[in-house]
Amino acid sequence: MRRSLALLCLALAASVVGAEPATTIRAVDLKARAASDAKTIASLPINTSVDLVRREGAWVQLRSGKDLGWAKLFDIRLAGATTGPTKGGSNSLGDVLGLASGQRGASVTTGVRGLDEDMLRRAQPNAAEFDKLVSYASTKEQVDAFLKAGNLQTRTVEWLK
Amino acid sequence: MSSRSGLGLAALAALALFLAGCASTGGEQAQPMDSKTAAQSALSGFSLGGINVGSAFGAATKAQEAFGEVTEPQEIEMGKSIAAGLLGAAPLEKNALEQKYVNNVGLALARVCGRPELPWHFGIIEAPQINAFATPGGNIFITRGLVERIKTESELAGVLAHEMAHVVQKHHLNDIRKHAQKGLVLDLAQLKGGGGLAGEAARAVARVGLEGYIRGLSREDELEADAIGVVIAARAGYEPYGLPSVLQTLATVPSSNADMALFLKTHPSPSDRLTALEAKLPPWFDTLAKPNPALVRFNQTFKQQAAAAKK
Repeated sequence: MRRSLALLCLALAASVVGAEPATTIRAVDLKARAASDAKTIASLPINTSVDLVRREGAWVQLRSGKDLGWAKLFDIRLAGATTGPTKGGSNSLGDVLGLASGQRGASVTTGVRGLDEDMLRRAQPNAAEFDKLVSYASTKEQVDAFLKAGNLQTRTVEWLK
Repeated sequence: MSSRSGLGLAALAALALFLAGCASTGGEQAQPMDSKTAAQSALSGFSLGGINVGSAFGAATKAQEAFGEVTEPQEIEMGKSIAAGLLGAAPLEKNALEQKYVNNVGLALARVCGRPELPWHFGIIEAPQINAFATPGGNIFITRGLVERIKTESELAGVLAHEMAHVVQKHHLNDIRKHAQKGLVLDLAQLKGGGGLAGEAARAVARVGLEGYIRGLSREDELEADAIGVVIAARAGYEPYGLPSVLQTLATVPSSNADMALFLKTHPSPSDRLTALEAKLPPWFDTLAKPNPALVRFNQTFKQQAAAAKK
């Protein structure tokens, strides 16, 4: 119990690193909890600038002025499309790891061509690298253990219409 | 340049035909098989879509089947060739623990994706571009550039599940069949022999496949893969909003960023995809999303790797 509480704290801490600027794409009722039947604490018009504080499944916690409440993930778009190339998810893995700058933007300066159109056109098969790919495959037992440790349970969900 | 076209002619000549009766591939995509159907087809050997692989490597025997022209072993061999081609453009990242982690997530998804019998493989490619790729037969790749934009295991699962949906629905396979030269026949024996993955037949397949990644799939295929991907993630036990969450992040990357160029050329805009996906999600979908503290292992895994890399 204590362990899962500690994990929960870690998880929350991880998802709270830095608020991300966002904009509502429709009129949004800010909810007191992450639930449709929760109390509405503020009504935001379309195109309201907000800060995304936390993600939780279908919901995002938003700050708008002094109001802090929940809306749907699909109610917003993150800001930043017009900012510089190193902006983006402020707590993305790359940023957390300090890998963000230098690999983005002008790829001509990186010396790594990677998977652009030209490289795809000129690629010669690399059989040894494919063998390496195969070597990373997990055994059934490893996947079982991975699912268990991740508290992941298979469930029945219909394909969407 | 001249060597490429020379190779192409040789390969065309060398290939046995494969597209017999492929004119019937248009129209509706088949829905993914449920696990029962998948299990049945696994039980009946390599049969998929009613094809008996034992009959021949060549022409399909049941033209009425949607994918009757390509047997599953053929699809898998094609996928190997295309995967080797991709890895010729950019290699796998060297970090074995990260590669293992991505395989664990992917293989968890594979169990519930509708084609659990395929030899699924997952790899992080050492490339700054933001992208992900699927080959026929179940090879899934995600670039370093995209991994860096991912924040949680659920997001990683969402991206992998989208790519897996392309395989389940045979989007690339159908695209290849549509664009390969009429009369091109892919002989499995040719792929397996004749120099293996470096042989002429394999190279020709890789070239057609890689051209597909430059051309991109149709808008319908991409939106369908989003809708199937979120269900695959949910079936495996993940909260299914990982994929839309990644799309939210990708919508913030400026279109002027060169690392997004191919992705944006070959996919509907992330914002359009969010709009389309939202419209397909029923109200009860929310109930599939429960916080899962155990998945903090994502941060732990990748931080450990970063620390190890610095030493």
